[in-house]
Amino acid sequence: MPEDGDAMHAFARAQSHRRRANFALFLGPALVLLACFFLAPVIVDLVLAFTDMDRTLAVTTLTLDNFARMTSRDTRLLASLGVTAIFVLCTLGIFNVSFALLLALTTTAVPRALGAFFRAVWLLPRMSPSVVYALLWLWVVDPNERGLLNQVLIHVLGMAPADLRNNHPLVLIILANGFIGASLGMIIFTSAIRSIPEHLFHAARADGAGALAIVRHIVFPALRWPISYMTIHQTLSLLVSFEYILLITGGGPFFDTTVFSLYAYRRAFENGQYAYGAALSLILIVIGVIAALVLWRLMDMRRLLQTPRIEVH
Amino acid sequence: MHAPTLTAAPARADGADWAALALRARWRRTAEQSALLAFLLAVSIPILLPYFWMVVISFTARSGGVSTSVLWAACAIIVPAVMIYCVVHLIAPSTRVRLVAALVLLVATIALLIALVGPALHVANYRFLWRRNIVEEIRSKATAGGQFPSVWIAFRNSLALALSETVIILAVASLAAYYVSRFAFRGREAFLQGLLVLHAFPAMTLIIPLFLILHWIGLLDTIVGVMLVLATIELPFYVFVLKGFFDAVPWDIEMSAMTDGATRRQAFRLVVLPQVRVGLIAVGVFAFIRAWEEYIFVRTMLIENTHWVMSLYLYWVSDDIMGVDYGIVAAVSVFYVLPSLLLYVFCQKYLTQMTIGGIRG
Amino acid sequence: MKWNLAAVVALGAALAAVTLPAVADEVVIKLWSRADRSGPLRAGNIVAAADTLNKLLAATGTDKRVKIELNETNAKGYDEDALDLLKAFAVDKGPDIFVLAHEWTGAFAQAGYAWNLEDHIRKNPELYDDIITSLWQAVTYKGARYGVPQDSEVRMLFLNNDDMRKLGMSDADIAALPAKVDAGQFTANDLCDLAGQAVQKGAAKYGILHRPNAGPDFQMLVESFGLVPYDKATAKLQASKTALRDFYTWVKYCTDKKALVADNTSMSWDAIEHASFTGDDVFAFFHGVWRVTDQMKGLNLKTREEYFHRFTWINAPAGKKGGKPSNLSHPIAYAVSAKSKNRELAAYIVGLASQPYRNLQHAVSTNHTPIDYGEQSMPELVEKGWALVAATPMLKYASFMPNHPKIGQYNAIVFKGIQGVETGRLTAQKATEFVLDELENELGKDIEIQK
Repeated sequence: MPEDGDAMHAFARAQSHRRRANFALFLGPALVLLACFFLAPVIVDLVLAFTDMDRTLAVTTLTLDNFARMTSRDTRLLASLGVTAIFVLCTLGIFNVSFALLLALTTTAVPRALGAFFRAVWLLPRMSPSVVYALLWLWVVDPNERGLLNQVLIHVLGMAPADLRNNHPLVLIILANGFIGASLGMIIFTSAIRSIPEHLFHAARADGAGALAIVRHIVFPALRWPISYMTIHQTLSLLVSFEYILLITGGGPFFDTTVFSLYAYRRAFENGQYAYGAALSLILIVIGVIAALVLWRLMDMRRLLQTPRIEVH
Repeated sequence: MHAPTLTAAPARADGADWAALALRARWRRTAEQSALLAFLLAVSIPILLPYFWMVVISFTARSGGVSTSVLWAACAIIVPAVMIYCVVHLIAPSTRVRLVAALVLLVATIALLIALVGPALHVANYRFLWRRNIVEEIRSKATAGGQFPSVWIAFRNSLALALSETVIILAVASLAAYYVSRFAFRGREAFLQGLLVLHAFPAMTLIIPLFLILHWIGLLDTIVGVMLVLATIELPFYVFVLKGFFDAVPWDIEMSAMTDGATRRQAFRLVVLPQVRVGLIAVGVFAFIRAWEEYIFVRTMLIENTHWVMSLYLYWVSDDIMGVDYGIVAAVSVFYVLPSLLLYVFCQKYLTQMTIGGIRG
Repeated sequence: MKWNLAAVVALGAALAAVTLPAVADEVVIKLWSRADRSGPLRAGNIVAAADTLNKLLAATGTDKRVKIELNETNAKGYDEDALDLLKAFAVDKGPDIFVLAHEWTGAFAQAGYAWNLEDHIRKNPELYDDIITSLWQAVTYKGARYGVPQDSEVRMLFLNNDDMRKLGMSDADIAALPAKVDAGQFTANDLCDLAGQAVQKGAAKYGILHRPNAGPDFQMLVESFGLVPYDKATAKLQASKTALRDFYTWVKYCTDKKALVADNTSMSWDAIEHASFTGDDVFAFFHGVWRVTDQMKGLNLKTREEYFHRFTWINAPAGKKGGKPSNLSHPIAYAVSAKSKNRELAAYIVGLASQPYRNLQHAVSTNHTPIDYGEQSMPELVEKGWALVAATPMLKYASFMPNHPKIGQYNAIVFKGIQGVETGRLTAQKATEFVLDELENELGKDIEIQK
């Protein structure tokens, strides 16, 4: 009947109107914020990389000089990339994924309350302000005898005092960032483990499986997605963050712990070479995006996305 | 992963000694548990010790240096007490025994601490809470107008920054996460992939263009500007986390609300949102703590010394008097850490329930 | 009723006009200065000058007053503070008056942030003619003056007499050192030998301690090796490969002898001061005369005699035997923002703050050398400023840093080289290459590299 047809059209129009409105209402704010403060800066960064902006924030010419400098005249660049590679691989491999996994497994194997207590302890570094955390590390590795580490080394192990900050700065930043990094993975893995149905464990035990076998056959399959996500997430995180390094070693001594992201920051803010810093950041962005896409593919993250079930507005 | 304990059964004719097997199994379990606990204790000490040390310093240090004698004395009392309790916990036959043992140990520990460590305690290091210029009192005058503001101003600014940022994040992220979780819009996969890839964008090195953009918008040197930037940087992660919570809410709840006549928006607000309460609290706490500790953006985006926040306050105080007076620096640190710590301790059970959106093995 | 309403309104207006206090007409002048333990009166004098101005205004019966808004930053050094200032000016949040280290005059003048004060100074001789003539050189850029000197000082190495006595030197030997340095008989290498000896024999814990960040001090050391950073003829900065290599070779020599401390550049100011101003841990402290106050307080020295019993001052020794020692004078200056709406007023306030009485308070309380001729005859200077009087002869070998806009970057790069050699990351040769590379990269056409 004609009224039905009109009603159907009207309904369809209203539906599509609401769909757009919903899109604007729900996704709008996020899109605006992301566009303004995430995408816009990237574009500005892209443009800046081709200019000669220095500390007076004035742009006088467009030039490829920054990239020329990067490829031929910058002697610190390769070293910085090397430091970044060591830092990311070690922190990721030792702490952010592996140790996190270990912590998740061990804290779920002990009684619940105790497990929660230890997880709480390991979350403490992440929850404390970065300035405080850095300060604590500086006190702990103080090269005099009053540093906690040296107290242990001297009085308990009978060794000579160590000066981590000057002699083994890479170890120091890997430890400092590792303690922080392990906590996030620990939480994610723990909740994944907890969501495994209890009866699987009972059945495995009844079948005579030992602890290691249980871990291998029941726990690991359940952790596949969290481990993949954490690996990608933490790799990217480690590639771009340098706050703790800046606070603990300042990128030094000299340039020893200056990872690539910190290198760009130092060039921009310590030497006032904003354009060069922007060019370096651009390279970092490219590396990061490639890494993210490659890892996404490798770990088959598409399956992560469930298709929604209702399409009514 | 608790195996059911087998109760002792009478010996059977086929020779299997079930009671002995059960006992062996229990001892093996106890050994396993002890090994796990020992491992966990060992790795947790490097974390606990420095924080405890910081608290001890703040209550015992006097001008001129830091000593660890009080720390070791306290440890010498507390560590054996904890170890004794662990042993008791494992071998005690009943909860009542455990409780009594815990109480006795607690009282003994406190008594010993008061006796041995008590005299060294004082609160002079906390005087920065009511005296504004202690840095200049300890060193010497460096300014005409006072080198630092009252710590309460920094506290107030930090609080304002953290609270408003949390509100923004909760609002924006929950809306976006719900939409991504429930609607199949064009570009959904690209959007999620994009969110993941946004992690690759070095927020720290985007500081230069962010600085310029804030200047062009006119929000440079304002708390609002810093707040918006911080909220945006963290957004991708929180959207993912909240998506996970939304995914876990069964469709039926929404369906029934909508068949009852609610619009999608009403369903979201009245029915679905309460279901993800845990997720919202977790994200809120995380966001608050993150904003409470922010240092680099604040340092770069705020030009004049008008907007002090706690991170800057602690940084400059420690830079100035750390060699001379560890106690004050420790006291300021403890004061600064306290809100994060309290929030974290009380909301811990929410934080540990975070998952990543849509992951089902 | 109508007239009631009108009456009420009129009455209200009249009352308001009478009872509302006349809002004082306030002009706000923003001052940016660095919180410096050795110079609280840099800001204090500006505030005092504004007070004087306000007293004059009050005496004329007007309601106009001047208010100084302070922004005292916590930057680690004047170089860091200058960078922050440039950043602030670039986004139009600069102050009206600012305190800066003189060698940055060029950078601020070229960027258009510092106001050309030449006219103002010429028109107001009663305020500015008493300033010591040679000091104006420090704030001149391309022939015009962009700042007003606020103070000056003498830099030196403070040698620890007690440590030298522990090494077996007699009081006569110790007293003869400054003359030997000036004659070129006691060279930079000899200094490191002595300092290294002190450390190795256990007389001192640290050999020579210097500042942990970039700054003027190092120019003095490098100049002893023949580096002349500025060419007046071409108005360009310059760097000599040989001089730099000799300098970094010396740094390596000293680090190897333990005369220089490997992590000096990552110590905090606090730690350095704590070590230098208490006890006998430090053999030589390299800074300037204004530290005398801290030294006396920390070591509990009451009189001039006690002080010189404990310390000997020397210039930076020559690099080679027979060469000349060098010294550096590093004035701090006031500058006025060219973009300020009240720049004339700001300039006058600076002029008032630079009068002998005010400047003397700063000079004597913090041991900086005076800027006005008038101060030199004031009795307070002779009484309390014995350190300044004693330091003045050392100015014979003193130079200023050049006012080139990129001198800040130049200093930062040279400092990085020092850091590299001290921490053992770079050899002398590598350090020279590194520094020359960076200089070319960053300064481009503004620098000339010579053999």
